[in-house]
Amino acid sequence: MVTNVTNLSRSGLYDWMAQRVSAVVLAAYFLFLIGYIIANPGMEYTQWHSLFSSNWMRIFSLLALVALGAHAWVGMWTIATDYLTPMSFGKSATAIRFLFQAVCGVAMFAYFVWGVQILWGI
Amino acid sequence: MLYALGKSLGSEEGFGEVKAYLTSPLAKFVIWALLSALLYHLVAGVRHLIMDMGIGETLEGGKLGSKIVLIISVVLIVLAGVWVW
Repeated sequence: MVTNVTNLSRSGLYDWMAQRVSAVVLAAYFLFLIGYIIANPGMEYTQWHSLFSSNWMRIFSLLALVALGAHAWVGMWTIATDYLTPMSFGKSATAIRFLFQAVCGVAMFAYFVWGVQILWGI
Repeated sequence: MLYALGKSLGSEEGFGEVKAYLTSPLAKFVIWALLSALLYHLVAGVRHLIMDMGIGETLEGGKLGSKIVLIISVVLIVLAGVWVW
């Protein structure tokens, strides 16, 4: 049996909501960024730099980065608890799943810190 | 992606480097592959949100929805390819 001890909020309903709210944030960010790049063909450095220098874009980017972490955690938790189970791995399933989730967690944390450095370093 | 973002924002030379690198066929293919995965995930995710609202939850609706997702995704992925090249 898989328990919810490693899910994002220890509540399935909250996870369900977090996944959808973060999805909407990510969709808005992705569509905006793609739209901006399409609308400005042959963009130069100054324009690109000033876009990411503005406060609202930093907030939007940071929001998207947090949403990415939450979204990825819920998604990877779902995959790990669906497929990395005793049915496929026997007794070592818990260790394998924990390790997988630890790697995911470290990756998301690293992406977050790295993203903050980029956004606030310019 | 973060590396490219950091480099392109770090300095004017970095921006030029990333821009030049993105003209190579391999880089274009990788960008297109990433965009394709993202677009399909996005379209399928929007379908989830629509189904959360109670639309298309029947067996027939589910089958139709999955076909619509595939068609929209293929169209967007082809358009993304046109844009990248």
